Amino acid sequence: MSDEQKISQRYRELGREEPPRHLDDAILAASRRAVRTRPAPLVVPTGRRRWYFPLAAAAVIVLAVAVTMHVERERPDLEVAEAPATAPPPPSSAREEQAAAPAQAPAEPPAATPPPEPRAKRDLYAPDPKPAPSQELRAQRDAERLADLQKSQTAPTSPPPAAAPAPAPAQDAISGARESVRADTASKPLAEMQQAPAPVPQAKPAAPMREEARARASAAPDKVPAVAGALGGFAYASPEQWLQGIADLRRQGRHEEADKALAEFRRAYPDYKISEAMLEKVEKQK
Amino acid sequence: MEAPDEELMLAYGEGDAGAFETLYKRHRGPLYRFVLRAIKQRSSAEELFQEVWIRVIEARSRYAPQARFTTWLYTIAHNLLVDHWRKKGLTLVQLDDEPAVAAPDNPARQAEARQSLARLMQALEALPAAQREAFLLHEEAGLTVAEIAAATGTNEEAAKSRLRYAMAKLRAAVDE
Repeated sequence: MSDEQKISQRYRELGREEPPRHLDDAILAASRRAVRTRPAPLVVPTGRRRWYFPLAAAAVIVLAVAVTMHVERERPDLEVAEAPATAPPPPSSAREEQAAAPAQAPAEPPAATPPPEPRAKRDLYAPDPKPAPSQELRAQRDAERLADLQKSQTAPTSPPPAAAPAPAPAQDAISGARESVRADTASKPLAEMQQAPAPVPQAKPAAPMREEARARASAAPDKVPAVAGALGGFAYASPEQWLQGIADLRRQGRHEEADKALAEFRRAYPDYKISEAMLEKVEKQK
Repeated sequence: MEAPDEELMLAYGEGDAGAFETLYKRHRGPLYRFVLRAIKQRSSAEELFQEVWIRVIEARSRYAPQARFTTWLYTIAHNLLVDHWRKKGLTLVQLDDEPAVAAPDNPARQAEARQSLARLMQALEALPAAQREAFLLHEEAGLTVAEIAAATGTNEEAAKSRLRYAMAKLRAAVDE
């Protein structure tokens, strides 16, 4: 028998302690609770319940048909109103005739008439230099509707502005939102973060570890951690980025958030080994 | 033939509570002893033991069998142990006064066993934390040197060295 085997044998003689029963029960109960919180598999309903789905589906179909018919009925009003004003585009031969004899089209001044060009190119690439009467009418109606809508929205709360500001380009709006998110996650003070619509929940009073653990285990594992908001979403990019985010929070003095984020990280990556250097950054220094 | 641990863990991740129960029964004893002998304070050991399993439960949907389940399980335990030691200011907790051991019927053997046990336990207690952990991972979890290295986040040479030193010190204690 080798020395190693001898030590092993002696070690086995030390005793075979087992976890107490209450611990087994608690862990197994937690494991079952955790699985029960998952969505239940679809089962075949029986009795009256089996009619729920067909009835619901039928109701949805009827509703969809009704809405479609309503929309179809509404649309002709617009088209009918616009139809007389809409002149069908002249056939290519007529255009050629117009181009050949400008005197036959007195309604349009010669200066506004663009030089004739091939139909395909004009239709595909170039907008009409002058909108057709129906487009003008539609644009006018849209403008009126928009004005009515703006009036109805602004009237109860505040008088309409003297001059409507020019709408900001969409790109500006997106970059503005990004900036605000960045500002929220990077430089916003903690007090302001707490006033945000979806603040990070405050730390609850310290509870016994086992109770907390039990409650945690029964929670859904895929649930977005509460700190994800505080971390600005990078919590899911990679463990390294997550840790870097925690280190940033720590550097900014946001220790409470950093603590929560670190705890969340440990739960998400229980087997991840944090290097000593990173540990110094993410853990609160005493 | 029994289902491998990895399959059971995947099955649990898909909602099979029975798979977890089987897995738990396989590993509860060795893991409990590993934790108990690593930190030597029963109440803390029980909390840590429970926390390891809670982490396993929480990570069920993210589990991917990249290594043996045992290695993964003891990696989690190692991380929690490191946290525990850090909270204690990197100092080891003292041994419980009364060692838990099944007492033999024969009084002479009982005394001898107690002496042997005491020596071994003292030697185990006296080991540096890393060496003791390597020894316990080898004895309780049945991990190889490579797996010990993986679980503790070190290289194989260091793991081998820790295990060798631990064995040498324990052998010296037993041979006394």
